[in-house]
Amino acid sequence: MKVPRSLQIWRLGIVNYSDALKLQEKLVSDRKIHKISDTLLSLQHPPTYTLGKRRTDHNLLISEAELKKLGAELHYTQRGGDITFHGPHQAILYPIISLRDIGLGARNYVEKLESTMIEIASLYGVKACPGQKGETGIWVGDRKIGAIGVRIQYGITSHGLAFNIDPDLNYFKHIVPCGIADKDVTSLRRETGNGIYEAVEKPAPHVTYSKEHQCHQVFHLF
Amino acid sequence: MALRMWASSTANALRISCASKTPAFALSRCFSSGTQLISFPLPIIIFCKLMVLDGLKYASSHEWVKHEGSVATVGITDHAQDHLGEVVFVELPETGASVKQGGGFGVVESVKATSDVNSPISGEVIEVNSKLTQTPGLVNSSPYEEGWLIKVKPSSPSDLESLMDPQAYTKFCEEENAAH
Repeated sequence: MKVPRSLQIWRLGIVNYSDALKLQEKLVSDRKIHKISDTLLSLQHPPTYTLGKRRTDHNLLISEAELKKLGAELHYTQRGGDITFHGPHQAILYPIISLRDIGLGARNYVEKLESTMIEIASLYGVKACPGQKGETGIWVGDRKIGAIGVRIQYGITSHGLAFNIDPDLNYFKHIVPCGIADKDVTSLRRETGNGIYEAVEKPAPHVTYSKEHQCHQVFHLF
Repeated sequence: MALRMWASSTANALRISCASKTPAFALSRCFSSGTQLISFPLPIIIFCKLMVLDGLKYASSHEWVKHEGSVATVGITDHAQDHLGEVVFVELPETGASVKQGGGFGVVESVKATSDVNSPISGEVIEVNSKLTQTPGLVNSSPYEEGWLIKVKPSSPSDLESLMDPQAYTKFCEEENAAH
């Protein structure tokens, strides 16, 4: 018998990476003791480079000093995945979900995150698909439009996905994104031309709308 | 769905457990494209195509422990490796580290997700599987043998009592799979 589940969605706007990390740690602890239900954070970060558990900093092509001059921060994290960039107009979702409660494994969870991004892309007429084996994330041809990096503790997820609506793609030039050297990074803006005019002119509300859509999509998929 | 039920009832029909060592058995192993008879030297219970070994104890977080006198070997189950996907990185503790029953001792990474691994028993780590640095995929290909994670000197024999036997673990996996 399926127990009814609820998902609380927090729309946070632009949040500093450290603050988002502290919030996720608190939510994971609270979720572990069943103090809260499954929760979804929807947000953006200021310009931030992050590394995963394997600390693949050979994929950072500039020094930390140069990175700071660009107005960006660097963070080492415990999530899976390689190096990536987060910035304004990149929609981020951090689901804090108990996979254990629903008997879902890491592989299926990540596939669902990929499906979410593929569905969002298709809403804008962009045909995206999952990567080849070992290239988790979503792609339009050989251009990466969505990235995933997840941490699972006590069967509870944190971190999540980052979907490029219209971030400044120049920031990606300073890394080997996700450790994959010969592939490009793209965005919904780049793939649709002027198709998402509103996202450019009115970034906050429209991106909020897009994220809300994503939230509903994620909710639907879970 | 029909294949799953058939596989499950085949598993039940062929379920083997015994107290003493026995010679090779011919067993049916179900695949989505058909069945294949194989000989296998250890008595095993089959749940669909994921294996649960007899003689081990299991934690609800999908780790197994094989207790052999003063040494206990710990790893993750076939169910766990299947749900993780291809393992690309394994982080293990140092020898001499303490582990606590239910506490995390390491991390595996697969499909851009890091997942913590918990110890089914308390004790001191006396050996870690260094092969996993170069060949983390052993966790997928041989979760009960070459893909073992750590060896522990158990500090509390009663830890084993709170773990599941193979039949209980098989049922636990079935219930978990039915939940989604």
